[in-house]
Amino acid sequence: MKAWDFVFLAYGIVWSALVFYLTVLRRRCRKIEAELVRLQSPGDKKKNEQK
Amino acid sequence: MASTTKKSGRGRSILGGLAFFFILMGLYFALIQAPPDAYQGEVQRIMYLHIPSILTAYLSFFIVFIGSALFLWKRERRDDILAYAAAEIGVLFTGLTIVEGSIWGKPAWGVWWTWDARLTLTAILLLIFVGYLMLRSLIEDEDQSAVCGAVLGIIGFLDIPLIHMSVYWWRTLHQPPSILRPDKLPWENVHPAMLIALSINFIAFLLVYFYLLSSRIRLGELQEEVKKTRLYGAA
Repeated sequence: MKAWDFVFLAYGIVWSALVFYLTVLRRRCRKIEAELVRLQSPGDKKKNEQK
Repeated sequence: MASTTKKSGRGRSILGGLAFFFILMGLYFALIQAPPDAYQGEVQRIMYLHIPSILTAYLSFFIVFIGSALFLWKRERRDDILAYAAAEIGVLFTGLTIVEGSIWGKPAWGVWWTWDARLTLTAILLLIFVGYLMLRSLIEDEDQSAVCGAVLGIIGFLDIPLIHMSVYWWRTLHQPPSILRPDKLPWENVHPAMLIALSINFIAFLLVYFYLLSSRIRLGELQEEVKKTRLYGAA
């Protein structure tokens, strides 16, 4: 491996990992938002009240 | 509540845009503008990732320390959410620092890894906070999980001064600090063009960090809201 190969490997790994984490974080947020909307919907509200 | 969410969402978008701009600037300065090192050549450009990522990890664990101490003192959920969010992102940046260091170590030292004091202590820091995340997900009782996490978060942070001072206390392969030195100012020790590239990359990392942190805090708040809704029903 030449010097630039090490440099590009390091930059590639770091920025790919950060983009990957951000994508996963956004997906987790969307999932939990959908869950909250479902729980607050009138049908589920009734179910929660019955519980 | 809705307007606060909208405002924080707009703030996050601005932060994300700024982070993206500084990432591009940082890449230009690190890979094109900055001169190669006199001894190490082009491979030294990994420094523009390595130093900002470890400093960002230190900051993140400092936030864990503050959040944990505040939680143990006041028992407010928002402090625990902050500490938990900062720990998760701190683990990411510490892991990246070790990977970058390893990639830099191979051409500079001839090895991917060595049991040097600084490297070993950084690996211990990573393991402590991976343990923190495991502990948080394994303990079902929420209050107990938060208290145990807070104690571990405070203990884990104490490893950072050891990491920083390790290059002075023990004979190590890792070079002494270039920026945070007690005897010299940064511009007395680093070429101005390199210092500019490093500063821009550090700003980029900070912006990315705060963008990720605010998104992770938002996730923690939503999880809290879901739990409350399940317990007490929708308001």
